[in-house]
Amino acid sequence: MAADLFAWIEALAPVVALKRSFLAYPLVNAAHILSIGVLVTTVILMDLRILGGLSAIDGRTFIALMRRLALFAFAGAVLTGASLFSVRAGDYAANPAFLLKMALIPVAVLNMFLFRHLARGWEAATWRHDPPRFVRGTAATSLLLWLAVLLCGRFIAFL
Amino acid sequence: MDRISRRHALGIFALGGFGFAAGMPAYAHHGWSWTEDGFFQLEGIVAAIYIGNPHATLDIDVEGELWRVELAPPSRTVAAGFTEEAAAIGDEITAIGNRSLDPAERRMKAVRIVVNGKTYDVYPRRAPS
Repeated sequence: MAADLFAWIEALAPVVALKRSFLAYPLVNAAHILSIGVLVTTVILMDLRILGGLSAIDGRTFIALMRRLALFAFAGAVLTGASLFSVRAGDYAANPAFLLKMALIPVAVLNMFLFRHLARGWEAATWRHDPPRFVRGTAATSLLLWLAVLLCGRFIAFL
Repeated sequence: MDRISRRHALGIFALGGFGFAAGMPAYAHHGWSWTEDGFFQLEGIVAAIYIGNPHATLDIDVEGELWRVELAPPSRTVAAGFTEEAAAIGDEITAIGNRSLDPAERRMKAVRIVVNGKTYDVYPRRAPS
């Protein structure tokens, strides 16, 4: 039963400590905001670069740096997010904004893999040419998906 | 052409986001924008007590209907004297505060809790005199 699993999570010692804490919870919360701030910013900058913006910057170096930052930020967001979820797992699991967010994240991650697959040939070649139409399509989709994830996340607290 | 349609897509997305945000205030937990101005009193039986982050809540059974009563963040709720020991499941309880603007929603934000003969003002500055 899912309800049993959520009750078990909520009863774990570190989770109970976080639930009661005066300092730790707001700090984890702030770390989550920092992670998603870096993630969304780096994703937007990468997508804009692929879509033809920021063309004065060398694409290869820029994307390599942004991608590394985005992966670190994503890991941070998952860890801090799981901690925030754990204190009221059962409640969040019934929150429509949370559920939509959890559905959108795998779609956004799959879209990232689709981009990497489609862009392989183009990335290996020169960055001076515009990327193919379907590569730009995945970049535009990425932009919309991650912004939607951000919005859903914010709405968890208001539903 | 491509550039214009992309810009349009972004604009539509942004508008959709604002529309979503504007259409939802009745559901907002944070602050008091989602509640009625006048005081509302709820009497029932304690069904669940949560004293923890991000804010404490009570579930109150009112003649078979479950209400969610939002309290202050845990530090403020405990500072008001309302701990998990202050009430037990099955106790008769009165919550005074502001109910959701959405009449279909069984949800309120309490400023004062009365249980077992004791009064706890979790939002002292908002509590009725």
